[in-house]
Amino acid sequence: MIDVKNLTVRFGGVVALDDLSLNITDDVVGLIGPNGAGKTTLTNAFSGFVNVASGSVSVNGLNLIGMAPHKRSRWGLARSFQKVQIVSDLTVEDHLATVLDAKGANRSLRESAIARALDFVGISSARNIPGADLNPYQRRKTEIAKCLVGAPRVILLDEPGGGLSEHEMQDLRRIILGIHPEFGAQILLVDHDVELIRDVCTSTAVLDFGKLIAYGNTAEVLRDEVVKAAYLGR
Amino acid sequence: MARRISGKNFITLAVVLMVIWLLPLLLSSLWVKVVTSAVIFSLAATGVSILFAQLGLINLSQVALIGVGGWVLLRLNYATGLPFTVSLLAGGIVAAIIGAVFALPAVRMRGLYLALVTLMAAGALQILFNAFQFPNGGEGFWGVAQQSAGDVRRPFLAQTDGAYLRYVMLVVAICFTIVGMHRFAAPGRAWAMIRQSEANAMAAGVNVTFYKTWAFALSGFLAGISGGLLAGALQQLDARTFVAGDSILLFALSIVGGAYHWLGAIIAGLLFKLLPALFNDFGISADLTLVIFGIALLHAIITAPKGISGQILAGISSLAARRRVSRD
Ligand SMILES: Nc1ncnc2c1ncn2[C@@H]1O[C@H](COP(=O)(O)OP(=O)(O)O)[C@@H](O)[C@H]1O
Ligand SMILES: [Mg+2]
Repeated sequence: MIDVKNLTVRFGGVVALDDLSLNITDDVVGLIGPNGAGKTTLTNAFSGFVNVASGSVSVNGLNLIGMAPHKRSRWGLARSFQKVQIVSDLTVEDHLATVLDAKGANRSLRESAIARALDFVGISSARNIPGADLNPYQRRKTEIAKCLVGAPRVILLDEPGGGLSEHEMQDLRRIILGIHPEFGAQILLVDHDVELIRDVCTSTAVLDFGKLIAYGNTAEVLRDEVVKAAYLGR
Repeated sequence: MARRISGKNFITLAVVLMVIWLLPLLLSSLWVKVVTSAVIFSLAATGVSILFAQLGLINLSQVALIGVGGWVLLRLNYATGLPFTVSLLAGGIVAAIIGAVFALPAVRMRGLYLALVTLMAAGALQILFNAFQFPNGGEGFWGVAQQSAGDVRRPFLAQTDGAYLRYVMLVVAICFTIVGMHRFAAPGRAWAMIRQSEANAMAAGVNVTFYKTWAFALSGFLAGISGGLLAGALQQLDARTFVAGDSILLFALSIVGGAYHWLGAIIAGLLFKLLPALFNDFGISADLTLVIFGIALLHAIITAPKGISGQILAGISSLAARRRVSRD
């Protein structure tokens, strides 16, 4: 269970998250909201990349705030970035290996963990290709595979569908739907694509100006008039 | 990670061993000394290159750290009966620790600011060297006396200058191997990720502070080893060898040689020590080398970001490709 309590994050005069409280119990939860609503800031608060003015983020009773960012990752917090982060001179496999290096996985476990994650997202064939030579969707998939190795507990995906073709979206949907059954991690999915959110998220939270304006069953949330006004009916 | 030990690696190893064996036989005694210094500075240049190529960090304190390694070796030489190689390692470790301390600002700084901090650290060490000089067999902690320097013991099998050059090349080859092992293992992957984005590295569980510090320590270690080797080569050290400005020169030459391949470090060492000696030999002022270095740096920055080594390696691989095409 992920419990965000009275979380406030400020950037100078901008209040990016305004006393936000959110209790997440479902396995795959959506997070939507207009540009600048604070979605990425929330993922960054999970990761420890922004200063939190007040409040807490806890998972199963463990407060993440105060833990060093790399320790959060080793504990089991995995994430992808809105702007894909792929290193040009590391191969696909190297990206996953880096995560396992940090977690201190032993040799035989490494090999099977890497093979399983690559196979799951469907880029086993690109295993030895350096980041520089990957196409945009392969980059996305590498980033997701990186989230899957080393027993993740919580996975944050920040707009994984950005810039993908219709066909790639289909594939991405399959991948995200399979993560929880296959790897057991709880997923927080940020995306603009309402279809994707509708298909994969049991419940969905809506942010606007750093505040929670709706939260609950995805279908109901997407029907909500306030949500439509703030977001869908732009 | 399918980096097999290929035939190419064996060829490289064979060539390296041949050079180690042959070079001292081919050179006159003066040139043995010059080449020894050049090879020694190649090692220090490797440290500068690691920081720049792997992490994008600029270290302008390397020559001062060479002085640290040299000081420790001389100190242990006169105060203890330790074998040369043990004192050499000790000098490397002390310089590694000091290098790691220099890394403290690196955790927060980048670019010009970091460069300036490391340059100031080099300046501070330069002042210390000037004030206390290098041990030459005198009494007390600093071990300096108004006397001609005593003997610096050399490794048992490397008493003559020629044999010592072989020892130096062997040590440098071992250090290059250590560096290569870093690049293709966990530290290399962590460094690559840090260089691209620290946030991304942290999200992958990489301890950014640790790996930056580790890179500085490794770089300092290489400087310290080269300082100890230099002390063994010259038998005494002079504070004027370790001025802060030379660290800038060594950094510039590492870029000229090429920071991304060990060949670049060799070229940097040769430019740093061999070229001025050659000019002297031809009766040209060695100061002219500075002008050439300046032009070479501009050339590297503008047209050859991977330095001379990058151009050579690209040339070799295009030649090889052409041969493959003509064979088919
Ligand atoms: N590092 C930062 N520095 C200053 N302002 C920021 C920073 N990150 C986000 N913001 C601001 O915080 C608000 C929320 O941004 P963000 O979380 O990126 O929104 P979203 O991901 O929902 O589009 C915006 O007003 C944005 O300009
Ligand atoms: Mg965003």
